[in-house]
Amino acid sequence: MKLFRIPSRSLGMIDAGAPVFFRTIAVAVPRKEIYARLGFRAGHTLIQPEHREMVESYIDEARGFVELKGSAILLNVARIEEDSIVLSGGDMFVSSQLARMASGCSSLLLMGATAGSRIMEEIRRDTSIGHITRGVVLDAAASEMTDGALDWIMGYVNQDLRRRAKRLTRRRYSAGYGDFALENQRVIYELLRLGEIGVSITGEYLLIPEKSVTAIAGVRTSVA
Amino acid sequence: MTIREEIIRKIGEGVLVLDGATGTELQARGMPEGVCPELWCLENATCIESVHRDYLAAGSDIIYTCTFGANRFKLAQYGASSVGRINEDLCRLAKSVAGERALVAGDIGPTGRFVEPFGDVGFDEAVEVFQEQARGLIQGGADILVIETMIDIQEARAALIAVRELSDIFTIVTMTFESSGRTLGGTDPVSALVTLQSLGADAVGCNCSAGPDGMIPLIRAMQPYATVPLVAKPNAGLPRLSQGKTFFDMGPDDFSAYAHEFAASGVQLIGGCCGTTPAHIQALRLKTAALSPGSSRRQSIKALSSPRKTVILGEQSPLVIIGERINPTGKKDLQQELLEGRMSLVRTFAREQTSRGAEILDVNVGMPGIDEVSTIRKVVCDLALFTDAPLSIDSALPEAIEAALRVYPGRALINSISGEEEKLVPLLRIAKKYGAMFILLPLAGRNLPKTSRERISTVSSIFETAQDYGFTRDDIVVDALTLAVSADPSAALETLNTTRWCAQEFGSSTVLGLSNVSFGLPSRIWINAAFVAMAVSHGLTLAIANPLSDEFMNIKRAADVLTGRDIGARSYIARFGSKGASAPGRQQPANEASPGQEVYEAILEGNRDDIAARIDRALQQGITPQALVNEHMIPAIEEVGERYDKKIYFLPQLIASAEAMKRGFEHLEPHMKEGELLQAKKGKIILATVKGDIHDIGKNIVALMLKNHGFDVVDLGKDVAHEVLLDAIRRYHPDIVGLSALMTTTMVNMKETIERVRDAGLACSFMVGGAVVTKAYAESIGARYAKDGVDAVRVAESLVG
Repeated sequence: MKLFRIPSRSLGMIDAGAPVFFRTIAVAVPRKEIYARLGFRAGHTLIQPEHREMVESYIDEARGFVELKGSAILLNVARIEEDSIVLSGGDMFVSSQLARMASGCSSLLLMGATAGSRIMEEIRRDTSIGHITRGVVLDAAASEMTDGALDWIMGYVNQDLRRRAKRLTRRRYSAGYGDFALENQRVIYELLRLGEIGVSITGEYLLIPEKSVTAIAGVRTSVA
Repeated sequence: MTIREEIIRKIGEGVLVLDGATGTELQARGMPEGVCPELWCLENATCIESVHRDYLAAGSDIIYTCTFGANRFKLAQYGASSVGRINEDLCRLAKSVAGERALVAGDIGPTGRFVEPFGDVGFDEAVEVFQEQARGLIQGGADILVIETMIDIQEARAALIAVRELSDIFTIVTMTFESSGRTLGGTDPVSALVTLQSLGADAVGCNCSAGPDGMIPLIRAMQPYATVPLVAKPNAGLPRLSQGKTFFDMGPDDFSAYAHEFAASGVQLIGGCCGTTPAHIQALRLKTAALSPGSSRRQSIKALSSPRKTVILGEQSPLVIIGERINPTGKKDLQQELLEGRMSLVRTFAREQTSRGAEILDVNVGMPGIDEVSTIRKVVCDLALFTDAPLSIDSALPEAIEAALRVYPGRALINSISGEEEKLVPLLRIAKKYGAMFILLPLAGRNLPKTSRERISTVSSIFETAQDYGFTRDDIVVDALTLAVSADPSAALETLNTTRWCAQEFGSSTVLGLSNVSFGLPSRIWINAAFVAMAVSHGLTLAIANPLSDEFMNIKRAADVLTGRDIGARSYIARFGSKGASAPGRQQPANEASPGQEVYEAILEGNRDDIAARIDRALQQGITPQALVNEHMIPAIEEVGERYDKKIYFLPQLIASAEAMKRGFEHLEPHMKEGELLQAKKGKIILATVKGDIHDIGKNIVALMLKNHGFDVVDLGKDVAHEVLLDAIRRYHPDIVGLSALMTTTMVNMKETIERVRDAGLACSFMVGGAVVTKAYAESIGARYAKDGVDAVRVAESLVG
């Protein structure tokens, strides 16, 4: 008697044919990146202690409002051409830059993350009462933490791939950048089933809550 | 001699060699990609037998079973459900190969799912999943269990608790760290070690993660705090591809060259992970043969941990503050929130206290009408996500304490355990099971011990019982009991004498709830502050207090310096060094600037709180509102803009200054005459984020900057329909319309908007901006481009002439 069947694809939990959802993503607060996003240039920007204290306290507050969730799926590549990638399921992404990044990859990792709606409510409230300094810092913190959630997802998947001597490309690519049109966001959104973690998509392909982001990375069998 | 004793003896004799990789080794021997390794091995037993045999021949003292993914969740992906049987069979297989030559470690890997509070798998469900696997491995004859490749400290805890609830089998736990030096969940090596060794792991360390060179710093970080042997199982470097084949870049010789360094760093069990082969293990065996056991380990440690931070306690370190504010007593808002299951204030209190110097947070949710067990569990889960500070679990209910400790992904402090007969033993058992430290409250009978002699006697008696459960002096924190000096003049001295005895003779940490001392007296802060200084000089380790009190915290910081506990006054200087004016009492302006200059400085510094008062002073000195605006405020905001352009200021400074300016204008406006107000307006601007776009923070910044530079701004908000904009133009007759868009898909609406306005025959200039908007695009649609808020002011000024 056969004890088991060999599935057509089995790259662990992440590759079970459906997206894996991460209901709580805990990332270290990326302070350096938040400062950089706000225009801080080390060795150049002169920041008074009071201002640093203020910015730090807003970042700490942001941490209490950001509720990171995410979703990821590994999908096999049928073929990669000069300016497009066709997935085994038939979906196609048209972008020469994305195709270049994924060159030599047998599968793609699609990932999405959101900071949730609480932080957006807080930013809106700040704006409406004219407390824009706080709103700006919360905004930058939410952006960077959401980006950090994508780093976290890539780290999680890499842990799994490492045991098979594979790894993700170091770079990832998002719809709306370069020649990878924002319209692709719709397909990515649906494949990742982002609606299940409270994210919706508008007719203009914008994700709501605003601090939500998707990206694509390739799976390589060698070090990039 | 039991197997457990035998293992401990062997570890004492030298460095034990573990095996190398199983997964990559099976692949090399023909296991196809995409199969379930455990099930494949049962069908191809000779292959895994050969892997085990080769590692034994290479010199492994301990081999791992091929059961890394043999848990309920992972096996279900392959349609398998007999978890216990699979683990048992694979363990028996390994045992039959090992015979008497080596020990067999039943291997438990991660489930691939995340455990609450970091994921959607309930903690008790995770424990059950691991118990199912562990039971099979023990049934199969495992000598050791190894919980490995853990990236989530909570999953590692669940697995370890699962094992400990079944057996006292020797258990190794190894975590996997990222190149950042933390696990994916953000846990640092020391916090992982402190949490796991206190929870009953017999050996702790790292596996996978990196090559040996990347792993040594992780082990070194753990070494000073380890009470258990350390374990290292690094990869053979990184995977690389050559001629279509994958290989790891470190050969046996290079790999084993690190053996000595590992041993010197305290490693007593060493092996290999991904990419290592029997040849790597053989080389390692040769290098470790001559190595003697590492230097002696500490027996216990005074340390508390959260998932991301460890607090080491010591009488020679600065006084550690336990923030007391997460307690509903006397806080109606918090009471209401806790009853409704909301956590907003809990997070706020946590943030406020840690930002003001609390290193540990006390959590108490006791109040009438609340389910304390479920509430404290929920609060602890929330705080595990939102604060780095370790927690002190404060409850009178042992079941609430247990619920909190079970789910807390760190080493917590119990507040508290007294000599109360019916609770003492149950609480000691709970503390032991979850590895918690505890506050020892020297109360035994109905009467409060008044003298230090009575307290010392009770401490000794309770500690004697605690020792029976394996506790050491390092595991306890004695509460020396603070009573009110208003009721008994000798109360404070008795407390201090008890504190000194604990610190100098007994050798335990101490804690005080300081504020009780001033009960019944006016201006209690001064009594509290004096008492903390005295207690610090008597060796107090921790204080339960409100860190939001500046007086209290500043006296504490000063006391740390004066008692030599803040070495080089580093913390004190970090707090006050840059400020200069930190003396108590009302702060004076740093220099004798003129009132107009003070207003200028307020804007330059973004000082929103003081600008109104400074304007009043200037007006009292006879400076006219118009002169204040033209000679001080406008030049100040222009200087801010220049500094921002040169990157001397960054965005929060620019906005803070703009907000100070706005507040100044608002304060000044009632003092200005009608004509002056009109004169101040340079032109009218309508701002809108275009239809379909919802990102408007940049537009809001532009609005603020334009208002400050004398423009009359009408802000229509975001996602503004063409019709709304057309109506507004007809109504306000603006000089300029400013449009923003963040995305490529919404940017096109700028063009359409401008065309609609032109078609309607309305005359105004356009200014556009946003992340994807370029100067070329702006020009192509007949608009001016502004790159940021400062630039928008320049563009607007040029458009209105």
